[in-house]
Amino acid sequence: MKNTLKIFLGILLLSIYSCSDDLLQRDPISSFSAQGFYKTSSDAQAGVYGIYDAVQATFSTNFSLWGEGRADAVNTNQAGDPFLLQQNTLNSILASARWNNLYETISRANYAIKYIPTVLEDDNEFGRQLVGQARALRALSYFYAVRVWGDVPLILEPYESVQQNIFPERSDKELVLNQIEADLIFASENCRASFGGERNRILITRGAAEAMLTHLYMWKKDYPNAIGSAEKVLANNLYALVPMNDWSRIFTQGYTNESIFEIGYNEVQRNSLRVLYALGSDSNFFPSQSFRNSFEDGDLRQDLIYDVAETQPRKIWKFFGQGFSDESPDPSDKNIVLFRLADIMLLKAEAHHQMGQTAEALSLLNTIRNRAGLANLDEAGATNLYGDVESAILHERLIELSFEGHRWFDLVRTGKAIEVMNPINGLNDERNLLWPIHEDALNRNPNLSQNLFYQ
Amino acid sequence: MSQRIRNALFKYMGSRLALKIGLSLVVMFFCSISGYAQTPGITIKGKITDSKTGEPIFGASVLVKGTSNGTSADLDGLYTLGNISGQDIIRFSYLGFETQEIRVGNFSELNISLQSSTSDLNEFVVIGYGVQEKRNLTGAVVSVGSDEISKTNFQDPISVLQGRAAGVQVTSNSGAPGGGMTINIRGNSSLNAGNSPLYVVDGVPIETNVSSSLNGTENFGLNPLADINPTDIESIEVLKDAASTAIYGSRAANGVVMITTKRGRSGKPQVDVNFNSGISTVSRNLGVLNASQYRSAVLDSYRNANSSEQIIPAVLDSLSAINNGDFDWQSEMFRVAKQSNIDFSIRGGSDNVRYAWSSSFFDQDGVILNSNYKRITSRLNVDFDVSDRLTIGQSVSYTNAVNNRSNAAGSGNLSIVRELLIRPPTFAMNLPDGSLNGYQLGRRNPVGLAQLSTNLNKSNRLIASQYAEYKIAEGLKFRSSINVDFVSMKEDTFIPSTLDFREGYNTGSVRSSNNMTWANENILTYQKQFGTSHNFGALAGFSYQDWKYERTGLDGLFFTSDNIRTLNGAGTISNQGVNVASEHSMLSYFGRVSYDFERKYLFEANIRADGSSRFGKDNRFGYFPSASVGWRFSDEGVFDNVNFMDDGKVRFSAGKTGNEAIGNYTSQGEFLVGTNYLDYSGASPSVMPNSGLTWETTTQYNAGLDLSFWENKLMINVDAYIKNTNDLLYNVPIPRETGFDFITQNIGSIQNKGIELLMTTRNVSTLDYSWSTSFNISSNRNSVKDLPDNLLTNGFIQNGAFHILKEGFLIGTFYGWRFDGVYASDEDNVNGITNGAQGPAYRGGDPIWHDVNGDGFIDQNDRQVIGNATPDFFGGINNDFTYKNFSLSVFFQFSYGNDIYSEINHQRNSIVRYNNLSTDALNRWRQQGDITDYPKPVRDDPLQSMSRIQSRWVEDGSYIKLKNVHFRYSLPNKMLNRWKISKLDAYVTATNLITWTNYTGYDPDVNSYSGLRVGVDEGSYPQSRTIILGLNIGL
Repeated sequence: MKNTLKIFLGILLLSIYSCSDDLLQRDPISSFSAQGFYKTSSDAQAGVYGIYDAVQATFSTNFSLWGEGRADAVNTNQAGDPFLLQQNTLNSILASARWNNLYETISRANYAIKYIPTVLEDDNEFGRQLVGQARALRALSYFYAVRVWGDVPLILEPYESVQQNIFPERSDKELVLNQIEADLIFASENCRASFGGERNRILITRGAAEAMLTHLYMWKKDYPNAIGSAEKVLANNLYALVPMNDWSRIFTQGYTNESIFEIGYNEVQRNSLRVLYALGSDSNFFPSQSFRNSFEDGDLRQDLIYDVAETQPRKIWKFFGQGFSDESPDPSDKNIVLFRLADIMLLKAEAHHQMGQTAEALSLLNTIRNRAGLANLDEAGATNLYGDVESAILHERLIELSFEGHRWFDLVRTGKAIEVMNPINGLNDERNLLWPIHEDALNRNPNLSQNLFYQ
Repeated sequence: MSQRIRNALFKYMGSRLALKIGLSLVVMFFCSISGYAQTPGITIKGKITDSKTGEPIFGASVLVKGTSNGTSADLDGLYTLGNISGQDIIRFSYLGFETQEIRVGNFSELNISLQSSTSDLNEFVVIGYGVQEKRNLTGAVVSVGSDEISKTNFQDPISVLQGRAAGVQVTSNSGAPGGGMTINIRGNSSLNAGNSPLYVVDGVPIETNVSSSLNGTENFGLNPLADINPTDIESIEVLKDAASTAIYGSRAANGVVMITTKRGRSGKPQVDVNFNSGISTVSRNLGVLNASQYRSAVLDSYRNANSSEQIIPAVLDSLSAINNGDFDWQSEMFRVAKQSNIDFSIRGGSDNVRYAWSSSFFDQDGVILNSNYKRITSRLNVDFDVSDRLTIGQSVSYTNAVNNRSNAAGSGNLSIVRELLIRPPTFAMNLPDGSLNGYQLGRRNPVGLAQLSTNLNKSNRLIASQYAEYKIAEGLKFRSSINVDFVSMKEDTFIPSTLDFREGYNTGSVRSSNNMTWANENILTYQKQFGTSHNFGALAGFSYQDWKYERTGLDGLFFTSDNIRTLNGAGTISNQGVNVASEHSMLSYFGRVSYDFERKYLFEANIRADGSSRFGKDNRFGYFPSASVGWRFSDEGVFDNVNFMDDGKVRFSAGKTGNEAIGNYTSQGEFLVGTNYLDYSGASPSVMPNSGLTWETTTQYNAGLDLSFWENKLMINVDAYIKNTNDLLYNVPIPRETGFDFITQNIGSIQNKGIELLMTTRNVSTLDYSWSTSFNISSNRNSVKDLPDNLLTNGFIQNGAFHILKEGFLIGTFYGWRFDGVYASDEDNVNGITNGAQGPAYRGGDPIWHDVNGDGFIDQNDRQVIGNATPDFFGGINNDFTYKNFSLSVFFQFSYGNDIYSEINHQRNSIVRYNNLSTDALNRWRQQGDITDYPKPVRDDPLQSMSRIQSRWVEDGSYIKLKNVHFRYSLPNKMLNRWKISKLDAYVTATNLITWTNYTGYDPDVNSYSGLRVGVDEGSYPQSRTIILGLNIGL
């Protein structure tokens, strides 16, 4: 009897552990398993905000390294990327040659684009506008990728298994540009026209998609479509030029009516603006001599853009406010304005000029000039001062949009990069307009080949 | 047992193989009980005493050899044993005493006095789920006993093992009080799934990952076993080969460290009080430039940069009130630090209760200002015999530790050690208004960092084990236990605004974590001797273990005041708050059989089946078998006449163990929450799923030889092993175009092979004087055997900044540029070697890099192997001397042939902008024609002269260290008897007295990273030299 009892107890103990599958199945508590996410509409929303999180990281430094580093408005004392970009001695270990963050953004967007329709029906407005945002952010990433590296791998599906082709090849840039256009058109039709309040500036709205389309068409030299998109932006009552008194606030405060899309940052989610610009000669960039000399007399923006009084260091204070003197190399919490109304107006002016509609072009140009306290330019005046109307507009973009990450792409887009940069750093090869692909990317993916100039 | 139940059992087993194995064993045991019988005969009685003291030995075992007929002595040492014939041999034994065997013959009374063996527990070693006679071991086990532990002054069990256990390599991560150690048993067997052994305290597998810093300010800052008071430890066993470790299956690939605490013995209470107190000083100061030397170097760096800025840096203005200092910051920082420790214990027992009760208080200041470690430990081990058959017991230990830490090795300008060495000597301590000069030109004031910032770590830990052991029949026992390891930790940090450049900018954080693991283990053991020569043992068991981890935290900034450091004072909460939890579980079945014939032919086999929640459904269970054999050849007839040899045995073992040290949810893939956009909560994919993940497995072969000569005057243990680890769990880098950095996969293999020697000699042994020596030396060679080609770029895997993994190469291989000196002049660069394909040619004062491929420029392709962190051999030697009541123990440890990558030397020779330099910079290149090996300092180092990973920072890390000297005087028995105390000892212990090395950093015993990135000195908390005085009283 005693033995029976013992064995009974033994069985009891064993049976506690008999359901090993239950005991050994542990789902994540503080995160989702790959199969466990995208089940509810709040998952869908969180997935999209997660894309913006990657966008924050992408543009923290790179909006400037990509958009200004190789152009003529800046100069530098900094070893590393700033120096190599300025000297046009790009190599494959540049930080700005990495596309990791862009593809992380794309990956998150691909998840959202694939899975949101499984949560929210196709005809659900909330779902469609979320997909619209995801596709716009994917387009934004590819647009930068194409402009920086040319042909890039075009990935439109999320990676979910080792069985997928994890070594993608580069796709022709025209294919990528077509995808960008398709994504942006979808976004311009399906995103919300307005969220109300500050969210209109930091999330993708229809207006933001149209602004990106304007940029895309300008890049493709498709001027009629550029004008078409730009007109929609100009007609959008969310956007208005701010008065000159408030001009600094576009950058220092953010969320102004002039802003079409800016990347939001705060005390915790911070960017590199200060390291880029705030530290005078210790910062990544300070205004170049030629930039400082290119202001017209009476330009109200000049001393809002940089410290004109001090000889050394001439710090850029456009993003921090006039008189800004804090030189700590700490991250910044200011938003980064990617697209704003003045930018789209000047692009539209350029397009009109290309279409031979000089009057419309000058009218837009003068709107921006007048705000800065400068007199109207007519065609003769523009030719007299800048050689031609296109150059006058580009010069206006140089000043108005200074250090906002547009200059290099403007130069490349208009075919002026070699003309402008050759005297500065000897740039003389079209193939050199692209960045090299980072060594790490080449090492990880045998199906990638280096851009010709850097082979 | 009845057929009915047996059938029920079989039916129950179903198809599960693991269960089948477990239960078959169970059934086998139950079946074998029945053959038990008794024979009539005479009765014998007597008294068993300690030959030294004459005290009775309660519990001493009396056994008729070759049978299970036995009894044990009562409180007065008396025994009575019946059913004996005159031919029987009686075996008298007790733990810690030499066993005696006597033929009964015509005696009816046998009074026995047992000789105490040379060292407690010398005869027995603790193994997985049991103990074993040391001389019958067939696996590779090394043991350190309480005697040895008491001669050190270490406050944690891992330090004790350093240099004392062959095959066990211990390096310090930090010299801070309570600081971390890295322990490697027989090399690194894993790429990134963890190389730390399994720790088992009194049978409780404990959690060791929890104690590292929560906020990541210092790498591996805390010692996971510092919660265990070494004074409580009876013995530490390190199980090294697969035969010993396979019973712990999936967690045993890196070896197992078994810690056994002291338990009570029946008898009168033994009270022990141990008090000591001492001081420490930093073991070495490093040379830095003084103010005028520094200014000259900064000027040089500007000139050498040909900087377009013709500005005189403010740091050169010696009249400025904030630049007129002349400090060696080290002397402002390091102090003579005090420490004290008191232990108190009572151990004893009565008829059916045995107890060991102890508590301790330890308080240690660190040599860096304001660092302090306080620990209170308390332990109660109780065993209670409920009946003849049932014993229950509990071990409970509670530890409270408060560690006021220094951020010694953190990153950037928050690292105290780095600031000590590179903050300019000219920076004033205080500003003209008398307040602290906390921040200047990117450098923080190290004295301020140490004294004003907070890095407070408070932990509470409970390790408890509760068991019941039931003697089912003679030789057959069932034991069930519930084990708990609970760690709760809270960490506060604060950096006041006085150390920042921004008005009112202060930051703080709070983190708290709970780590709970519990396990239930159920073991059936059977031990039986058949006839006079067949000894049979078996064990079967199953266990379930469950881990749960929770962490909560908050960061804040803009606190109202530097004086309010709790988070309610924060103006801004700078994150959404951290609150995460994760869990993990494991279900295991295990078994062992052992057999020996006359202790001459020994055999043992183990198997364990582990199922882990970390792996996908189809790969959940892993099976880990092992087997070992031993042959005591000295018992063979041919050795009968070999008198000088007491014992000789060869051992062989083979087996498989595993490693499951991957993330709890890695195989499922993960979507991370908290990837927020402003205040909008976001989520994003973070881990790509791989449901095919499975165990990393290590197959190990071991051959050993145990010899003892001339009545144990010379004892030699040699082990040689080969360890092959396959299916390595590795985070394989994949193209970032996928959106992911890596996927965890099972890839490749690593091999470790090595040899270990332990030699113990009793050189002199007379009544008054004795001298014994213990020497151990080990050599481990590991090499990467196989890596998948698609992982290799340029034929290797870059492993962190300094190391590579390459087939055929050792783990710990440093890879970078070879520094061949300095160009004396511009013309010296005759080949016009340039910095990169398009960069400038090197000039006078620039380093000469070895142009490996001869292409005329220096780039990534000119990197080569520049060193290796693996020692050729390491070990220790201990000499014990006694003269009458004096004893002296002198312990050296050594390591030979390992390189150190001195990242701290890079830091302190790199001027960047305004950093101070080492005194080596006095020898720097200054002008064309200077012949030197110290390149010119250049502002911002545009050619990466200093910042390249280079052979210049690789130094020989070989050393011999006089690690420990212990001198003790024990009061003679006469005096003790007069005062009615059992012991009064006074002692002095010195630690880290002298180090002989060529290494130029603080200490060659250094390792800033765990895992495979071995041998890097990032500038950890420096080691200190400690001398303590102590008193040990026994009542």
